[in-house]
Amino acid sequence: MTVKSILKGLPVTQASDLVDSQLELQADVVVVGSGAGGAVTAYELARQGLSVLVLEAGPYVPSSEFTEDFTEALEAIYEDAGGQTNKAGDLLLLQGRCVGGSTVVNGCVSFRTPDFILEDWQRDYGLDNLTVDALEPYFQRVERNLSIEDNREHEIAVHSRLVRDGARSLGWSVKPFKRNIRDCALTGHCLSGCKTERKQSMLVTYLPWAAAHGARIYSDTRVTRVLEQDGSARGVEAEVIGHDGTKVADMRVKADMVILAAGAVQTPLLLLKSGLANSSGEVGRNFACHPSMYVSARYPQPVYPWRGALLGTYVDEFMRPEKGGFILEAGGLGAAEMCLITEPGTGKPYLDYMQDMKYYSGIVTLIHDHNVGQIRWQDGERKVIDYDVADSDFPSMVAALKAAARVHFAAGATEVYMPTTEPLKASSEEELDSVLAQLENAPHTLRLVSYHPQGSCRMGADPARSVVAPHGETHDVSGLFVADASLLPTSIIVNPQVTVYALATYIADQILARREQYFRVKSA
Amino acid sequence: MSKKHSSPAFMAGLEPLSRRSLLRTTALAGVAFTTGCARVFGRKEAPDQLEFSHLTEDEVRVMTHLTVVLLPTERHGLPSSTETIPTVQNIDDMVGQMSPQTRELLGLGLWVFERRPMVSFKFSRFSKLDPEEATRYVHAMQEGSFFERGLTATLKALVTLNYWRDSRTWPALDYWGPVTQKWGVRRLGNAPLPPV
Repeated sequence: MTVKSILKGLPVTQASDLVDSQLELQADVVVVGSGAGGAVTAYELARQGLSVLVLEAGPYVPSSEFTEDFTEALEAIYEDAGGQTNKAGDLLLLQGRCVGGSTVVNGCVSFRTPDFILEDWQRDYGLDNLTVDALEPYFQRVERNLSIEDNREHEIAVHSRLVRDGARSLGWSVKPFKRNIRDCALTGHCLSGCKTERKQSMLVTYLPWAAAHGARIYSDTRVTRVLEQDGSARGVEAEVIGHDGTKVADMRVKADMVILAAGAVQTPLLLLKSGLANSSGEVGRNFACHPSMYVSARYPQPVYPWRGALLGTYVDEFMRPEKGGFILEAGGLGAAEMCLITEPGTGKPYLDYMQDMKYYSGIVTLIHDHNVGQIRWQDGERKVIDYDVADSDFPSMVAALKAAARVHFAAGATEVYMPTTEPLKASSEEELDSVLAQLENAPHTLRLVSYHPQGSCRMGADPARSVVAPHGETHDVSGLFVADASLLPTSIIVNPQVTVYALATYIADQILARREQYFRVKSA
Repeated sequence: MSKKHSSPAFMAGLEPLSRRSLLRTTALAGVAFTTGCARVFGRKEAPDQLEFSHLTEDEVRVMTHLTVVLLPTERHGLPSSTETIPTVQNIDDMVGQMSPQTRELLGLGLWVFERRPMVSFKFSRFSKLDPEEATRYVHAMQEGSFFERGLTATLKALVTLNYWRDSRTWPALDYWGPVTQKWGVRRLGNAPLPPV
């Protein structure tokens, strides 16, 4: 078969393309979700001659249609139009919901899984296969494919230089991010989708590569059930929903293998709805999400936090659990985000704050949270995300806040705003302890956002304590695999996209090593 | 506690309901990021006569008063939050996009927000408080119980987002907005297939 690169765009069958209201499809492999896990497995299997079908619940939005407006992007390409929250409503969980998934809307930050996290997984979950050495070639492969490199100096914007300066003056370790980007145009609009196609999201990499190898991609297609027979996966049922919310077609796919890669919220929901792979009772449990806060600070000089690469540098001084278990990421933001991330007051103080927006800079905190959450259905039809910051994690949150504030002050900030629902700020480092002492771990106290849902279909060697075996297949159902962040047995502190890419590549290799076991009809 | 500051009986009856429901209502903080901010995004000319299709008259009154209190823009030389930028009209459009459940919860939230001052503000409604008292009330709500904090944060988000989303507010911030077309940045297309 001659493989021809797809230079622009992506061949996607959308709801608007369908004529029939009943679709019967067949494939060797049906992949649910087109984000980091789905796109990678689709490509790796398609290029080995398997017939692959990718089903994505979200719409196909080509890069040319991105508007560089965060609020518009939330509606168009984020889960629940950007309104996905935990049950208490005080934690916003942002996930992409479009062809390419969260890789389309992330900030390009590319970390390998920390070594000590992999060691935890080996020790506590029997993942002896996922050693640093074993994963090295997988990390190398995805880093090469996705142009992952250290930020160069011109990609470190003023806001990120301030963080670097502050951390260095405190004697703390600070580094440039690695990012999956080619020749960044420095628009600062990563979270709205990269209009310039510099971000190496799945939309411009693995998906067109998979399609070049024959993979078929359907958007607007929500899988409602995984089909199983005699202990083996046999395909899926799905609904194709038009952009006006009406159902266009029912779809039934016959396949020898099902790969779930719909993300750490949707994958467990689908398993629960299907009544599969849950002999352990662990499906949906052990959810973690790196609850993040944005700590903003006012500087004497203009910073223009929306200018330049969105994410430039990070402080890893406290990454290891024994040192605090958190990292600080220098991050920019635009007008819409600015008016939501903190509480400067009402009336005049608020307008003063917004009018001085160009003088503000921010730091995002990420913590190594415990897996205390749960994804579940309520009344069989409404998804529920049970997640409240654990009391045991709260000290890390406060420590991260304090460290972020210290970096700001060390860099010359004159005021640091706490990410709280009540106005709370510090005007000097000396005030920090008394300001932070006012915080308590209570609902609607902190302004929390999660960009990294994970851990709801834990991978592990013990079927009684995990959902997925070390090679990616569910313990209970042959031919039913999971290849997304729901696999992660613990939170990993850092942005998880590269971990998911590497694990998905690894799982694809595991499938290929066993292909005779799964595929009745060889398409190679 | 004096009788004057006691909760009226109907408010007490609302407590358990509001406590439970407002937990969900506060999910609107997320929605504030969303529907209206997006579907109705884009600059709208301020109509000569505002028309509201989705908010009730009472709700418009509450949101308008809250807008005036939160965004006293004229005093800052900013485009007016009521005359130039159709903030409440934008919120109305947003409400039109909400699911019935979310819409119901917003209605309940606004009902509570409007009547909560009756507990301690001389039986006045929020929309009848003068700006100074209304500001004190907002502060009190922000320092209140968790659902009061959540509700207030939600409503503030609704108002402020629906103001700042309008590109006419950006020059005052020096915010550059979308830039790719303005700068003429070339799109790179798809990455080439990796070598086998």
